[in-house]
Amino acid sequence: MRTWLSVARYHLLQRLNYLVLPWAVLAFAFAVNLAIFASLHASGAGTGGSRYYTGSVATIFIFWFIAGLLTTTRSLPFGLALGVTRRTYYLGSVGLGTALAVAYGLGLTLLQVIERASSGWGLNMHFFRVPYILDGPWYLTWLSAFVGLALLYCYAMWFGLVYRRWDLLGLLSFIAVQVVVIGAGALAATWSHGWHSIDHFFTTISAAGLTGVLAGITAALVVGGLSTVRRLTV
Amino acid sequence: MTQTISCHGVARRYGSHLAVDQVSFEVHGPSVTGLLGRNGAGKTTLLRLLAGQELPSAGQVRVLGGDPAGADALARQIVLVREDQAFPDFKVGDALRAAGWSYPRWDHKLADALVSDFDLPSSRQVKKLSRGMRSALGIVIGLAAQAPVTLFDEPYAGLDATARRLFYDRLLADYTEHPRTVVVSTHLIDEIADLLERVLVIDRGHIALDAPADGLRGSATAVSGPAPAVAVFVSGRTTWEHRTVGPLASATVADMLDATDQARARQLHLSVAPLSLQEVLVHATRPDRAHQAERVGS
Repeated sequence: MRTWLSVARYHLLQRLNYLVLPWAVLAFAFAVNLAIFASLHASGAGTGGSRYYTGSVATIFIFWFIAGLLTTTRSLPFGLALGVTRRTYYLGSVGLGTALAVAYGLGLTLLQVIERASSGWGLNMHFFRVPYILDGPWYLTWLSAFVGLALLYCYAMWFGLVYRRWDLLGLLSFIAVQVVVIGAGALAATWSHGWHSIDHFFTTISAAGLTGVLAGITAALVVGGLSTVRRLTV
Repeated sequence: MTQTISCHGVARRYGSHLAVDQVSFEVHGPSVTGLLGRNGAGKTTLLRLLAGQELPSAGQVRVLGGDPAGADALARQIVLVREDQAFPDFKVGDALRAAGWSYPRWDHKLADALVSDFDLPSSRQVKKLSRGMRSALGIVIGLAAQAPVTLFDEPYAGLDATARRLFYDRLLADYTEHPRTVVVSTHLIDEIADLLERVLVIDRGHIALDAPADGLRGSATAVSGPAPAVAVFVSGRTTWEHRTVGPLASATVADMLDATDQARARQLHLSVAPLSLQEVLVHATRPDRAHQAERVGS
């Protein structure tokens, strides 16, 4: 546990990447959207009963993916030179990414609450609300945002590890395998006339249920990353 | 004395290239060992294997009785300072802070003293440092970590002579105060020769020479003078090199000369000089002497 914390602390020396930039990038996206909505509002558009979703909250998710990549690429060689095993480095990094995902999910939830209370920042803007997945009660928003951030972080970490261990060719093969698996699944669904049940699954599953599925995928990604880091060299 | 490093039949293969092959040696107790060899001989790979940063393709690496890549408690006992160490977006101060958290015996006072000795700017980004400054940062980490197993890989690339002298002095002073297992790989052999207790020469992935440094110094002698006299003197001796230029000749004999030999050389009007460690190494790793492993005095 102590060694995991020391890995987390090591990453946090790069405050900019882990603490400042995710929110700075999101704030920038928010400001741009706010300006657009304000000008629309002034010209009389967007005042009707329809909902306007921006979807720009995705910027923090995308940035968290990049942070995960940096964890296993730029930060890895010196991290492993500081007297920790590969396993500890990996689990400490996962721990930090997940803990911050919990905090950032809560931050997004609070902002969503404010957005609701201020009827979309006074402009009927749905920035922190995303249809279906981030649109339920506050605790579900928190849970879904947390799982989504953690998943992207762990997924990106695995990409970085594959790149460090097998270089570009390995990374391309890694992507190719994922494409083939998804393609094979689609083909199998077509042949077995399974699209109907897949459609049924996605239309009936609740946001909570989907979050559960994503959490399962995250756990699988962690197992994959752990097996990749085992024989990594720097 | 306790065994601190042991390699047994260690190999590391990269595709068809064997960077390290059949390497076996042991280091017991506190000592300073020089790991010498030509470019690409396998020095860095061997040190990375000892630090657990690289994993052997075959054989067994044991440091302080365990697998260096196996446990955190053991990993914290080993520090490897690499010439090619990559850093994240760190300032010098960040790198030192991170190292200070990592090594249980980190000596803050020593780190501060070294930082001011080397004039390291704490608030500068590591990637903006000159090559020599970056080497200095590595040296500060390597010495202040006070790790029982301290490994330096080409620790002073780009460092000026004054800074190198500083490194030798600090290493010696610190080693005297806190004896530990130190392995230094370097090309500047004669500069560090006085510090070394033992010399490991690696050539094309093999251990070409493994000897106490004292046994190696003067273990070969350069002889020069009139060609016929040199020919007479070296006949019957193991000769590494024999060159004739006009009426003069020079030869290197793989012997330490005793008093009788010295007298005979004087009689023949020959000048004799013991080879420095560096010259011995050059002979040991010349391409035409490849794979001719030998052990001197061990």
